[in-house]
Amino acid sequence: MEHVLSINNITKNYGRITAVSNMSLDVSEGSVFGILGPNGSGKTTTLGIILDVINPTDGTFNWFRNFTRKENRQKIGSTLETPAFYPYLTGVQNLKIIADIKRINYDNIDKVLKDVGLYERKDYKYKTYSLGMKQRLAVASALLCDPKVMVLDEPTNGLDPQGIAEIREVIKDISKKGKTVILASHLLDEVQKVCTDFAVLNFGRLIYSGKVDEVSQEQQIVEVSSQNLTELEKAINKFSLKKSYDNEKDKIIVTLDRNMSVTDLNKYLVESGIIVTHLVVRKRSLEQKFLDILNESE
Amino acid sequence: MKRIIRIELLKVQSYSTFWILTSLYFLILLSIFFSGKFFLDFLARKGESLGDIIDPSGIPIYDFPDVWHNITYVAGFLKFILAIYVIISITNEINYGTIRQNIMNGLSRWDFLLSKLVLVCFLSIISTLFIIAAGFILGFIYSGNREITDIITYMEFIPAYLLQITAYLIFALFIGLLIKRTGLSMGLLFLYTLIVEPIITFRIKTDWIKGLFPLKAINNLIRFPFKKYALREVQDYIAWDDTLIVSVYIIIFISLMYLILKKRDL
Ligand SMILES: Nc1ncnc2c1ncn2[C@@H]1O[C@H](COP(=O)(O)OP(=O)(O)O)[C@@H](O)[C@H]1O
Ligand SMILES: [Mg+2]
Repeated sequence: MEHVLSINNITKNYGRITAVSNMSLDVSEGSVFGILGPNGSGKTTTLGIILDVINPTDGTFNWFRNFTRKENRQKIGSTLETPAFYPYLTGVQNLKIIADIKRINYDNIDKVLKDVGLYERKDYKYKTYSLGMKQRLAVASALLCDPKVMVLDEPTNGLDPQGIAEIREVIKDISKKGKTVILASHLLDEVQKVCTDFAVLNFGRLIYSGKVDEVSQEQQIVEVSSQNLTELEKAINKFSLKKSYDNEKDKIIVTLDRNMSVTDLNKYLVESGIIVTHLVVRKRSLEQKFLDILNESE
Repeated sequence: MKRIIRIELLKVQSYSTFWILTSLYFLILLSIFFSGKFFLDFLARKGESLGDIIDPSGIPIYDFPDVWHNITYVAGFLKFILAIYVIISITNEINYGTIRQNIMNGLSRWDFLLSKLVLVCFLSIISTLFIIAAGFILGFIYSGNREITDIITYMEFIPAYLLQITAYLIFALFIGLLIKRTGLSMGLLFLYTLIVEPIITFRIKTDWIKGLFPLKAINNLIRFPFKKYALREVQDYIAWDDTLIVSVYIIIFISLMYLILKKRDL
């Protein structure tokens, strides 16, 4: 697939701190690309560089395979760190300025404000908004130009659970329209829920990049339970297609081998004459993968 | 360019600080202009009681063509009010993070600088238009001469005034962009204007070297006019070398600002 963004060997030093270290990354068109990493791992710095507001110490990048910086940015909807607007202007007035910068008309303003649930407060001054509303306005501003690509830096920061769910819906909608989204987050759960691809940063270094699906599918974790736990444990102990297992109160947690499915386990147990009372697949959370990756990188 | 102007207008349009400072500026200008005559009358009355010989109320400060020189000179003292607004405008952009957001959304750094220069030009031009209107009104109220040649003779002070105020506001913009903090920038602007440069230039004996300092150069454009009423020689024209020095400073400050914007992480 076409790459909308290619990053080549980017490094950013702040004095002795290396915020981003020799990073290379490609983002394909239509993906929802999560940049995952703990606080201070260089997510914001990376986004700042590709949005032309931070000068890299070294390295290059390009959008849409061309080098027309300003025109490219006009086609990208973006937020970086905390929302930045004119506090003495209303939501609508702020969006008008952005529309002018992006060379588009004002027709879309009401629509994007409705999309993020801010329409009722559109004529209030920005400084009267709560943090959650500011964040919503930031997302609205990124949607404004019907962008080819959205770059969002921790867009659900400071939102209540309902707000978080709404913003995630907005992101999914955007991606359904075939747009590309680049999303920085320290929330694994968020990346797992909305992203198709992800990269993990730690101390400014890219330590993993791949597809979210693949990671989730790599190994299945299954909870099993039976009237007779000892028999069950014996059987599982003999089961050859597992990686490991663990006792947990009245259940046994089995990690299956790569690409083995729960059906294989079930079939085996039935054949061994064990009546299962509980059999649930735990989606292997990205969190575990993430922690594994972080541990490995250390 | 139309787009850049519209963006900057949207920014000031609903900003109460902008309206308060500009109204204050024009109110003070207006009251100074229209109190000049009353002040001279007041001096005359004082002088009468002291038995003085010259009658200050007869000094023709508003007569064409002198009125242009006099009011542009006096108005020059108030440009600091507009400079305060320019500093607020640029430091706000930095502190609110809107400069960064503007660039991310698709302004180039040059576009952004241009938008602030648009603000500077806008303020300078309305101030100059105000001075032109005030000159005509004062002249037609108080002046004995209404010959067309008299009316337009000293009107070269108008473009000089425009250049002077533009240069000063660009200097303020430069300080704001460099320092980033609102209060500190204003403090430094006043410190430099009122103390640092006067002290340095005071120690220099040669006039033309004094004239190379930015604020001295800006102020030199329109020289002190009132000595003429004591029958002393005054420079009642715009000198080309002053104009040139100020223009060079404008270019230097704009280039430095562009360089800062290019090099700095926003
Ligand atoms: N302007 C700056 N000056 C100095 N250090 C900075 C600056 N900006 C970021 N850093 C440092 O760079 C590292 C990465 O920061 P950042 O990109 O903001 O991380 P993240 O967004 O992943 O939390 C941190 O160690 C941070 O302290
Ligand atoms: Mg960050």
